[in-house]
Amino acid sequence: MQSKIIKELPDLIKNEVISKEVALKIESYYRSKEENAPNKLFVVFGVFGSLLIGLGLILILAHNWDQFSRAIKTIFAFLPLIIGQLFVGYSILKKKSRTWKEASGTFLFFAVGASIALVSQIYHLPGDLSSFLLTWIVLCLPVIYLLKSHVLAILHIVFATYFACESGYGYSSSGSSPWLYILMIALVLPHYYMLLKQNPKANITSLLNWFIPLSATIVLGAFVETNYSIGFLLYMILFGLLYNIGKIPFFYAQQLRRNGYLIIGSIGTIVILLWTSFTWIWEDLIREVVFFSNEFYIAIALFLGALAVLGYSYYKKWMKEFHLFQYVFVLFSMLFFFGFSSETIPTILVNVLLFVLGLITIKIGADRFHFGVLNYGLFIITSLVVCRFFDTNMSFVIRGLLFVTVGFGFFITNYWMLKKQKQILKK
Amino acid sequence: MKTIHLFILFVLVALIQLFVPAQMIFNQENTLEKGTAYKFRTEPIDPTDPFRGKYITLRYDINAYPTKDSIWEPQQDVFVYLKTDSLGFAKIDQVSKAPLETTSEYIIAKVNVYDKYQDVLRIHLPFDRFYMKETKAKDAEIAHRKAQRDSLPNNTYALVFVKDGTSVLENVFINDIPIADYVEK
Repeated sequence: MQSKIIKELPDLIKNEVISKEVALKIESYYRSKEENAPNKLFVVFGVFGSLLIGLGLILILAHNWDQFSRAIKTIFAFLPLIIGQLFVGYSILKKKSRTWKEASGTFLFFAVGASIALVSQIYHLPGDLSSFLLTWIVLCLPVIYLLKSHVLAILHIVFATYFACESGYGYSSSGSSPWLYILMIALVLPHYYMLLKQNPKANITSLLNWFIPLSATIVLGAFVETNYSIGFLLYMILFGLLYNIGKIPFFYAQQLRRNGYLIIGSIGTIVILLWTSFTWIWEDLIREVVFFSNEFYIAIALFLGALAVLGYSYYKKWMKEFHLFQYVFVLFSMLFFFGFSSETIPTILVNVLLFVLGLITIKIGADRFHFGVLNYGLFIITSLVVCRFFDTNMSFVIRGLLFVTVGFGFFITNYWMLKKQKQILKK
Repeated sequence: MKTIHLFILFVLVALIQLFVPAQMIFNQENTLEKGTAYKFRTEPIDPTDPFRGKYITLRYDINAYPTKDSIWEPQQDVFVYLKTDSLGFAKIDQVSKAPLETTSEYIIAKVNVYDKYQDVLRIHLPFDRFYMKETKAKDAEIAHRKAQRDSLPNNTYALVFVKDGTSVLENVFINDIPIADYVEK
């Protein structure tokens, strides 16, 4: 970005947009800024180097070299661990740079994994992958705080997610809920909070803004043991929570691409609504839902959480205008329990809700001149039409006409907005 | 926080990181040295663990025990007391929900399920994984299947050392030859 501006300077001088003095000032300003900032590339390469070496080490050890004696194998189990610890100890003691800390921390993370993996191999220790992963991340958790390492925080979240999937989704473990996952994520939140406070605009922060909601979305299903229908409600409430977090001004004021909460929350909400816009889903619901199960309590806890975020936003007067997306989870929860008495009414209401959400999104896109949002709204309506294409007894002519109408809608709205934009630019 | 404090904390963490694998090793070595060896008739199959490499999963002949006591939860710990049969293979002497006042060795296993129709308790023995060199694991499975067909039945067994509830799987044998050597032949 900065070098781009500097490259443009001669052209600007030539066309007499700016004077030579101004160009010099701009150049020296950016040069001085560059000198002060640590080289980000170094950190990235350092971390990737350690990551690859660490993973490679684990793979080499996983070969299970049976020509070595148990004693030699034991030495190999401790060697990388001690090397990693020496590097980390050195970077703490000598207050080394970000690059040193991140790279040595990453290496130590995989060295710990390699070490306990090799010990389990040598003694054929029982225990499935999930318990192995849990020991691993617990042993590395304090290092996140000692090094203030962002990469370790991300590795922790990724491996905690892996652990939760192994223990919750795996058929071998008879699908027990990974409660410890919640604790693991809670333990990394203080680091995340510090990062949000100190470096809200850093790239690493926006990465975490994506990883945390993504991890929650992946893992939530692992808590569903037998009550599959409540899964819809659980996910809808989670997406409501994520969306409302994304609407908090702290996140909302940032660029959209940094706001994983809002995007995952919004797309997730639409996906669940599209799913439940089919009648057969509600027919199954009536038969299946069991109240006062584990899943039911999780749903209540999540609902209260989402409601708390919503209430706090209201209390802080963050909500300047009514935005239907923020309340979808409340409406859906009501519909969900209503769905026990009849399957037609909730189906119709979900379809209406989707249609209204589509229209609102299109309007917001048009008002803000945001092509992405506009087309997202059109996409919602198109998806709704596609879903209805498959399960209604409408005549082919009517279905065809519907598609043609929505297709024209895409053209007309985009064309109209382009024209309006040009008009404003001319003025 | 001061650097030296951070460093001291890190040294503590590092010691824990070293202690956990060391403790794992110590427990196993202690059992191998002082424990009693039992032979468990078994049947291997070969899957993969992404971090620890290839292993063979072992299924044991003694995985059920007839009992009238039907109050068992899945995944509950069960104390399995051992004895040996006339051929020197391990047999279940008795099972219990709590440790018993007896000198015979026991294993802490997990309950699979209580089978109400046959009045048997199905159990899962803890030493179900035998890690092998990646080139040998598949062959081991095939070799076992062949050995099963061409000679006496049940000629594959796991040698397990047991002491105070801890069990260490030392090796797996086919026709009294360690499985890794058997595969090489």
